[in-house]
Amino acid sequence: MHSSGFFLNDVAGFLGGYYTFLAIMNGIAAFLLWRKKDAPGWALVWSVFAGVMMILASLALSASKSMVPALPEAVRGLVNSLSGPVLYTLGTTALFTGLFVFRKFFVQPMVAWSVLNFTLLLLGLSMADENFAAIVMKPDNVPIVGLVYLLAFFTWVATKQAVVNDERIKQGLPVVEKVNDEKVLVWPDLVYTELICMVGVSALLLVWALFLPAPLEEPASSVKTPNPSKAPWYFLGLQEMLVYFDPWYAGVVLPSLVVFGLMAMPYLDFNKKGNGYYSIEERKFSYLVYQFGFFELWITLIILGTFLRGPNWNFFGPFEYWTPYKVEVLNNVDLPQMFWVQWLNQPLPRAPQDAGLLSQIGFIFLREAPGLLIMGVYLVALPPLMAVTIFRGFYAKMGFIRYMVMSNLMLLMLTLPLKMILRWTVNLKYIISIPEFSLNF
Amino acid sequence: MAEKKKMSVADILAAARADKQSAPNTEKPAAEEEVTSVDSSPVESSVSETTPEPVASKTGSSERPSVKDILAMARSGKGKPAEEPKKASKPAAAKQPAAKKAASPNSPAVSGAKKNVQRDTASILEAARAGTKPGPVSKSEATGFSKPKAKPAAKKTAKAPPRPVPPRPAREKTVKASKVSKTEERRGFLAYTVGSFMAVGFTALSVTGGLFSMGLARFLFPNVLAEPPSSFKVGSKEGFPSGVVETKFVAQYGVWVVNADFEGVQQIYALKTVCTHLGCTPNWLEAEQKFKCPCHGSGFYKDGINFEGPAPRPLERYAIKIADDGQLEVDKSKSFQEELGQWNDPASYVTA
Repeated sequence: MHSSGFFLNDVAGFLGGYYTFLAIMNGIAAFLLWRKKDAPGWALVWSVFAGVMMILASLALSASKSMVPALPEAVRGLVNSLSGPVLYTLGTTALFTGLFVFRKFFVQPMVAWSVLNFTLLLLGLSMADENFAAIVMKPDNVPIVGLVYLLAFFTWVATKQAVVNDERIKQGLPVVEKVNDEKVLVWPDLVYTELICMVGVSALLLVWALFLPAPLEEPASSVKTPNPSKAPWYFLGLQEMLVYFDPWYAGVVLPSLVVFGLMAMPYLDFNKKGNGYYSIEERKFSYLVYQFGFFELWITLIILGTFLRGPNWNFFGPFEYWTPYKVEVLNNVDLPQMFWVQWLNQPLPRAPQDAGLLSQIGFIFLREAPGLLIMGVYLVALPPLMAVTIFRGFYAKMGFIRYMVMSNLMLLMLTLPLKMILRWTVNLKYIISIPEFSLNF
Repeated sequence: MAEKKKMSVADILAAARADKQSAPNTEKPAAEEEVTSVDSSPVESSVSETTPEPVASKTGSSERPSVKDILAMARSGKGKPAEEPKKASKPAAAKQPAAKKAASPNSPAVSGAKKNVQRDTASILEAARAGTKPGPVSKSEATGFSKPKAKPAAKKTAKAPPRPVPPRPAREKTVKASKVSKTEERRGFLAYTVGSFMAVGFTALSVTGGLFSMGLARFLFPNVLAEPPSSFKVGSKEGFPSGVVETKFVAQYGVWVVNADFEGVQQIYALKTVCTHLGCTPNWLEAEQKFKCPCHGSGFYKDGINFEGPAPRPLERYAIKIADDGQLEVDKSKSFQEELGQWNDPASYVTA
């Protein structure tokens, strides 16, 4: 918890500037729209919005905590009580699905501008909450907020071009990239742009370094781990994966598979369309698989790890105070335990004390039989099964080896969401658990 | 010499390089002319061919030596003005630039002639200013252009003398004897020389490398090893009441000393403060009666058994015993893992 002095100085003052910035941004947008004369209605909407933002700015700068515009306490409480890893994942999945299905609607500039304004306004209103502000305004986390917006913007631009192209292809017109294929020179066009970017980014880094100093902590100690202990932001997806897997799998095998899979992509891709221009309709499978892996299994996990994982790596709602004493029931059991003890009601098969190595290994195989069977079916039996059912066309076009590589990479990628679901629903720790040899899956 | 006042810095330098006794001013301008005429445009070169004449006329001779002549003179050591070379030099000086121009594809004259064929950056820029949009040369287009370019390049390499093997008088004679043996012997000599250099080089490298790594390996066996003793005393049994997790040894030794019930037996044992998932140090939460890891949320009961989060196996125990003086002594050199059934070992606990 923070004193209200901190809040008034750091957060309310910032929010005053923030709302003013929103007002100026929308004022400029309204002015440009009005000059273009093709959307006077929108110009009016954004100028009214800019006026509202100015009112919010003056309220935020009123130096009184009760006047700072904020979300109602009830809403914050509801969000806190609802939020959890399951709802977060389901919510982001639903969000991405909605954005994808209604992409023709969302690529319209005015719709996108409305969404941007809405999220920025929501961010500002949330910032009035001390707990939210403490996390989001941490010097480490400010750039992550920026990155989220940057990523959203680039994705929007690419999707917009893809939607336009898809529409043109449907009408039998050449794609935009073919029509508008003006070439520019590396020198001077590109090099000058790069020079300007270099100067701009250097200036930005200077300002960043001055205003968001790197947090210095106490000297490192091997017997003291900070709580929460967080990886650098770009590895937070990896850290989140480690919650569900053994280190060798989530820390070594899966990241290597990500790199290997990205390298294999050009060799697995048999679709000759979509080369040199944006298109979603012509490469739906590739697009969806890639975006699922990137957004769902990497970006959302980074955001989860940055903003929603608190002390003891517990899940905290966005407006919740990060207490290290939060009690969460996370008991989980391995599949052998579940199978032998809970379902068959008998003790785990265990080798006698004086058994030799071979007999011990035999007992381990017996104990892990259900898990090994499941994984065997998943990785060995499923690819051929898919080849004759849902991926029939793929198999015909790709051939045996390419199809096998593709299907196995996809199945291994899907182990992460499947394992997460199993952990949440049936409290399953590991499907195969051989701690004797540090082999757990 | 009366002409000395006409000498530029370049002339003086040239004169200094050439033999001092020779007439410096007559030589350098020719050399200079040669250089400038190569670089200049056709129009300029025609001017430069005529310009030196007045200067030359002052020396009393219309001829001027070329660089070759100057070098020849310098080598000969004699400071003779050398009238004969001079006579020959003028045509050479005049012709050489022209010949060079014709031969080298890079000279402006040639590239100007090629303008219609190949688009260079300047032409593209020119066209861009005019309003049209010619693109940069693409790969497929470039293959068309590369052909004419290849010829002059080939000429150049042909013209350039092969990297000379230092001429040796003794060898020269055998070379003249037969052409076949000449090439063979040269190759053999080359292989021999290069081979022996390689052999010496790699031998030296491997010897140095071997010695270096042996020196490095020496660091693995230090003379003095400043490690804390692996076993230490934590006090008498009475200091560890039942059901209490003692955390005061964590900072120094990385050990929790616990007095608790394990499988029906009241034991005092020392738990290693390393999470079995990825090696962070968990915290003992008194209110929840569990060890909780801050990195990925693994949780352990008071007896060290894992029950939540990703930790695949229980915390490890260190060896503990009652020392001669009645105090408890923890030995970190030995650890016991539950999943291997080692917690039954009496060395892993002390009965409370």
